[in-house]
Amino acid sequence: MNARAGGAEVALIGVAFAALWFAPLFTGDYGLQIAFRVLIYLTLAESWNLLAGSAGLVSLGTSCFVGLGAYVAFGLLNNLDAPLPVALAVAALAGGALAALVSPALFRLRGLYFTVGTLALAELLRLTMVNVSAFGGATGIILRDDPPPLPELFHYALVVALIASLAMTACARTRVSVILRAVRDDEDAAAQMGVRPFRVKLGAFVLASALGALAGGVQAVKLGAIEPYGMFGLQWSIDVLSMVIIGGVGLRLGSLVGALFVVALGEALADYPEAHIAITGAILIVLIRFAPRGVVGFAANLPGLMRKWAVA
Amino acid sequence: MSAPLLEVTGLVKRYGGLVAIDHVDLRLQPGTITGVIGPNGAGKSTLIGLIGGAVAPSEGVIRLDGRDVSRLPASERARAGIGRTYQIPRPFLDMTVEENLEVAQYSIQPFARAAPARAERTALLARAGLSDVARLPARALPLLRRKRLEVARALALKPHIVLLDEVGAGLVDSEITELIALIQTIADPGTAIVIVEHVLRVVRECCARSLVLNFGKKLIEGPTAEIFANDEVAAVYLGTGGARAATGNPNLAAFEEAAVSVSPRGVALSPLIAPPSTADAGAPLLELRGICSGYGQARVLKGVDLRVRQGQAIAILGANGAGKTTLARTISGAIVPTAGSFRFAGENVSGRPAHRIAQLGIAHCMEGRRIFPTLSVQENLLIAARGAGADVTRERLSAVHDLFPILAERKNQPGTSMSGGQQQMLAIGRALMARPRLVIFDEISLGLAPVVMDSLYDALAELKTAGVTLIVIEQDVDRALALADYAFVLEHGVFGLSGEPTEIAADPRLRHIYIGTAD
Repeated sequence: MNARAGGAEVALIGVAFAALWFAPLFTGDYGLQIAFRVLIYLTLAESWNLLAGSAGLVSLGTSCFVGLGAYVAFGLLNNLDAPLPVALAVAALAGGALAALVSPALFRLRGLYFTVGTLALAELLRLTMVNVSAFGGATGIILRDDPPPLPELFHYALVVALIASLAMTACARTRVSVILRAVRDDEDAAAQMGVRPFRVKLGAFVLASALGALAGGVQAVKLGAIEPYGMFGLQWSIDVLSMVIIGGVGLRLGSLVGALFVVALGEALADYPEAHIAITGAILIVLIRFAPRGVVGFAANLPGLMRKWAVA
Repeated sequence: MSAPLLEVTGLVKRYGGLVAIDHVDLRLQPGTITGVIGPNGAGKSTLIGLIGGAVAPSEGVIRLDGRDVSRLPASERARAGIGRTYQIPRPFLDMTVEENLEVAQYSIQPFARAAPARAERTALLARAGLSDVARLPARALPLLRRKRLEVARALALKPHIVLLDEVGAGLVDSEITELIALIQTIADPGTAIVIVEHVLRVVRECCARSLVLNFGKKLIEGPTAEIFANDEVAAVYLGTGGARAATGNPNLAAFEEAAVSVSPRGVALSPLIAPPSTADAGAPLLELRGICSGYGQARVLKGVDLRVRQGQAIAILGANGAGKTTLARTISGAIVPTAGSFRFAGENVSGRPAHRIAQLGIAHCMEGRRIFPTLSVQENLLIAARGAGADVTRERLSAVHDLFPILAERKNQPGTSMSGGQQQMLAIGRALMARPRLVIFDEISLGLAPVVMDSLYDALAELKTAGVTLIVIEQDVDRALALADYAFVLEHGVFGLSGEPTEIAADPRLRHIYIGTAD
């Protein structure tokens, strides 16, 4: 049953991907800009949802891997004349490697302490970039060559989002998902079943971090210039967190719905930045109170609720 | 004799000063079922944890098939073939029953082919009687079926060693019959099973050999029938006077003796004793009628009637799992009864939250002491007297210090840094600080050396003389009966026996309830 659902999901993702590939033929720059942002956010949200929803690791370190990916990609592009796909692939590897490097320390911390640990890691990297002049210091780095045109960048973002979606499907629809949820629900009981919790968490963390770094690399190339306050900004972590909470933590469609919702809201309120923050906050409060499983979770429960209301 | 499948030598587990497992040796042959019995706190679950890898040993060696596994984490021991269940089932609640088994299968064989793995799961679920609920979330299962899921999940590992930790607790007789049938299907020539159990019927019917743990030490080991006929074993459960000398841990006793001394008789306890209510003195202080109570699916108390008069000392006896602690928790309001009437000092208090019931003057000295570890000894005491004026608090404090001088000496130490006996004194002192009208003492002698128990019971006797109304819940029959005016014996959630302490002590049914006899 699982395998069939997984197959259908892969087919659906493939169709969506193929259709979107031709989007630049039909839409102008504005549409592509928005679509690009949705894809980057979708990638980050998928990877965060994998960590938090499936493995139970709530991270505030998204910015850490976004920033790392950006800096690694720029370094390779500017100093080694690496082709863009290679630079992005190395950025992803670097993200995964950093995750593997810090996990022995981070996984000693459980629950909220892990969350705080990831936050500290992001700050540590940001301050390093600010204070080391080889990395451009506080002013950052400018991409030496012109970034590729927008339709090409859109295709890069699309491929990255495809990788993230397929990875998420692999983790959610195969036997891996059972192991991940076991570790999330009761690490000790899982160990008693032969599951090695450290390795499972490490795998999820490395994969999510590599995806984050990949998205960061693509985003940085589009910007053409990076500086530590932006690329390592807490805003990344908070945006991703709110997207997944709005969409639905641990739900397959949660990241997509959340990313679309947050980007659309941002566009609708683009002229009122203060109102934007306040309204996002209000939406989060309402959702956490009344729909703790997000928009997707609420929609899934709707038939049941309707019946209850109809009876009442 | 063939080589043992599992060999445990000199196993020790210390928690700070407390020795939970003290130099235990154990050899398990393939194809055997071994029972482990012993009083609460004897270290049975710790032993399971040590073998399963959830608890790291302080000393000693555990060999599985000749290989030293003592330092391996739980996950590696599971992969090496040790499967265990938890005393309180810990299924993955949001997964289906079948997925719970998949965890074990796919963790040891990530690339197992799907079809044979599914066939194996189906067979396991059928054996455990869970076929009809395979697709339900584990959360939907009642207690008995969760316990079966624990067993099925452990078996999905294809273990050579199966450790069953109190799979019979909380089950009624017919459920125990089913459980025994299930255990007997697990036994095969290549597997060794260990059953930790208070439900002695399970041990009697499944295990050829048994061992008795007491105070973390192996008291005796041998054929199960001999173990059950042994007077010393009866003494461990019933706590006869002879057993005190025989089973006491002399080192621990000597260690505690220096620290534990209760003040001489005649201390001024009056600040701790609530004045008797003036309104009709003949009415009972506490009156329970037809109380039913339990935890979710597990119904523990099935209609308990209890009347306690002002100044009485009541003993509540009964085997493990009979419902003694549930009764205590129901009276103190920690559990709301599902049926029956609960009156205190003439008022109907049924359904009131625990803090309201405490305000009425019921203090509960809880099983396991429940000392606040981050508070000092003094703060632990003061927290129970919140709301009283400074003078009153000082009076009560000095009365508690008179009763247990050690609490004055150690007043600035963290509460849990003291020895077990001292912590128990703190727990008793804390209960008294509220100046209660009724105090429930739940298993205050648990895990304590006999000499410490003696001094605690001396203190209880003083309280009784001073007029405090007491309910004493105890596994140690002799001590409780020596103190009480009247005794009740809980059996399967109802009072099976009640009477004057002398009648109860002489009643052959008491031994039957505790040890159970083949009838």
